[in-house]
Amino acid sequence: MFNAVKLGLRLTSALAVVAALAMPATGKELVINSDSSFPAIKAAFEQAIAGFEAENPDINVTFNVFDNEAYKSAIRNFLSADAPDIATWFAGNRMLPYVDAKLFAPIDDVWAANNMSDTLKSAESSVTFYDKKWAIPYTYYQWGVYYRKDIFAKLGIAVPTNWEEFKQAGETLKANNIVPMAIGTKFPWTAAGVFDYLNLRTNGYDFHMALTRGEIPWTDARVRKTMAHWQELLDANFFLENHAANSWQEALPPLVNGKAGMYLMGNFIVEPLREAGLTDETLGFFQFPVIDPAIPTAEDAPANTIHLAAKATNVEEAKKFLAYFARADVQSAMNEKMSQLPVNSKSTVANDPFLQAGFKMLSNTDGGLAQFFDRDAPAEMAKAGMEGFQEFMVKPDRLDAILDRLETVRQRVYK
Amino acid sequence: MFPTPIQNTSRRTYIAYQVLLPVTLILWLLPLLGVALTSIRPASDITAGNYWGWPSSFSLIENYRAVFTNSPLAAYILNSFKVTIPTVIGAIALSSLTGFALAIYKFRANLLIFFLFVAGNFIPFQILMVPVRDLSIQMGVYNSVWGLILFHIAFQTGFCTLFMRNFIRGLPFELIEAARIEDVSEFRIFWFIVLPLMRPALAALAVLVFTFVWNDYFWATVLTQGAHAQPVTAGLHALNGEWIAAWHLVSAGSIVAALPPVLMFFLMQKHFIAGLTLGAVKS
Repeated sequence: MFNAVKLGLRLTSALAVVAALAMPATGKELVINSDSSFPAIKAAFEQAIAGFEAENPDINVTFNVFDNEAYKSAIRNFLSADAPDIATWFAGNRMLPYVDAKLFAPIDDVWAANNMSDTLKSAESSVTFYDKKWAIPYTYYQWGVYYRKDIFAKLGIAVPTNWEEFKQAGETLKANNIVPMAIGTKFPWTAAGVFDYLNLRTNGYDFHMALTRGEIPWTDARVRKTMAHWQELLDANFFLENHAANSWQEALPPLVNGKAGMYLMGNFIVEPLREAGLTDETLGFFQFPVIDPAIPTAEDAPANTIHLAAKATNVEEAKKFLAYFARADVQSAMNEKMSQLPVNSKSTVANDPFLQAGFKMLSNTDGGLAQFFDRDAPAEMAKAGMEGFQEFMVKPDRLDAILDRLETVRQRVYK
Repeated sequence: MFPTPIQNTSRRTYIAYQVLLPVTLILWLLPLLGVALTSIRPASDITAGNYWGWPSSFSLIENYRAVFTNSPLAAYILNSFKVTIPTVIGAIALSSLTGFALAIYKFRANLLIFFLFVAGNFIPFQILMVPVRDLSIQMGVYNSVWGLILFHIAFQTGFCTLFMRNFIRGLPFELIEAARIEDVSEFRIFWFIVLPLMRPALAALAVLVFTFVWNDYFWATVLTQGAHAQPVTAGLHALNGEWIAAWHLVSAGSIVAALPPVLMFFLMQKHFIAGLTLGAVKS
């Protein structure tokens, strides 16, 4: 008992010291909560914050790093109970629940004052809801097809630009006992990547967005058209066998060992592949081929964002930070550290062939940038959708039942 | 004599035994061997699909160093100690008192209370998940080391009480009667007579509870989040990257995390085995 009292006393005095340190007598405060627990991302944030403090010596920034997974459930609590000034989150419909719950504040004034509709144009639509701007996007990465350059060269396959060439490339690979595409759907988001691209190429960005917003029934003929394209690939044995038993990571070995030729994935695939010995001579990147030439190409490019909390106490300082975070030089430096792409069009991109290729592709994308299925669709719909796609890849003849089920979920989720 | 010593069986049985034993042993240890092997592989082996073959290079030092330098694993391990040690002390202190009371005093509800302690062991703790989480939030100990300690003490005390009560029951009651005649207070009887005799039981229970609590994963994930309070069993995932599961680091981390209970076992092997059977039979 005595020890407990002593401990309590010691704790209170320790707290008092901490509080005294955290609040200098003069100067302003800024509190940032972030999910950047991974070393490279944390380092990029720390560097950017140090730069901000150097430019604004009167502002003292408190930077709270949460565990990446824990953050997803913590954000709801702290935004309503103990709000920071700024919080990190994701672009697209993923932020909508917080916008609707009035936990994020609109920042149109920051956008207007800094001409961001020009500099952050590529991700503008993904942070705009109810005609207001709700976030600053600071990083994104491209999706596309990563392929074995050396195998393609050896078999004389040109980089496919349209659907027929794509299927033909698959045939050539198969004729040489190479599986056209590696994929692992144990965690089914990878199947959603395939759906996103087939749907974006078949029906276009606007249709895809309307579908993920719940405005179009899953039983629509246009969805069936997308699925028919998928069926063509399944009928042609395009994908690795047993994909439902492997994670995306466990499907990497076939690509590394030359047993598979291509992999539809985000740019984060490059790092482990390089580690495993693939070089810029053996690994290449191309844009997912065009299916319908009449439809402008759209891409998946998930963006991460920072937000002004609706209950922020230091709004003035927070807005200063938001403007700083949108700047070209800040985003260039951060993304170089994170090996991702800056959103600001005036930024420079790290000297890496894959990042350069991605930047070039996304800068020339006129169809629009989707955020990926599980960010564009609400959580419940996304879950049902991804499970459905996985099931379809294993049992394509169950298509009708799957689409009916997704339609039931849609009617419940978007009420 | 049953079972028949293997030397006395037929030659065929003997040979089968000699062959099957090592085979079963290797099969049994295969997962552990896999973890140990993975922990000294470079990440490239895993991406290239070399899961069971000879490592392309040895990165024993790199991996084990990365576990401590690139991740908060050390903080998680410290949390494990912060949870486990007070729990061991608390559960044993409480259960030696309850065990003493239930073994020595004859009162009407004695057996009922004893059964209550025993029955606690039969409740699958999964069904307590939601109520305990709510309770810990209302008590303000959610997401803190204290929440875990309090819960573990409460849950371990039931088993420890069964153990202690049966052990004290086995002590000669004459000792206590003799002390009472000398007019020794009841607490002094407990402190000076019973407690010293309980030393083997205390040691055995300490080892058991330490292992149980150290290896707990369920409550670690239900009651805590993040590096400030979570023990190492739940913290191993922090070794993974944003996209990639770093199995080589997770394996190395698992081995590091398994060391304290393993060391504890080898240091106190005698007590551990005694503890497993203690209280199981009543003579």
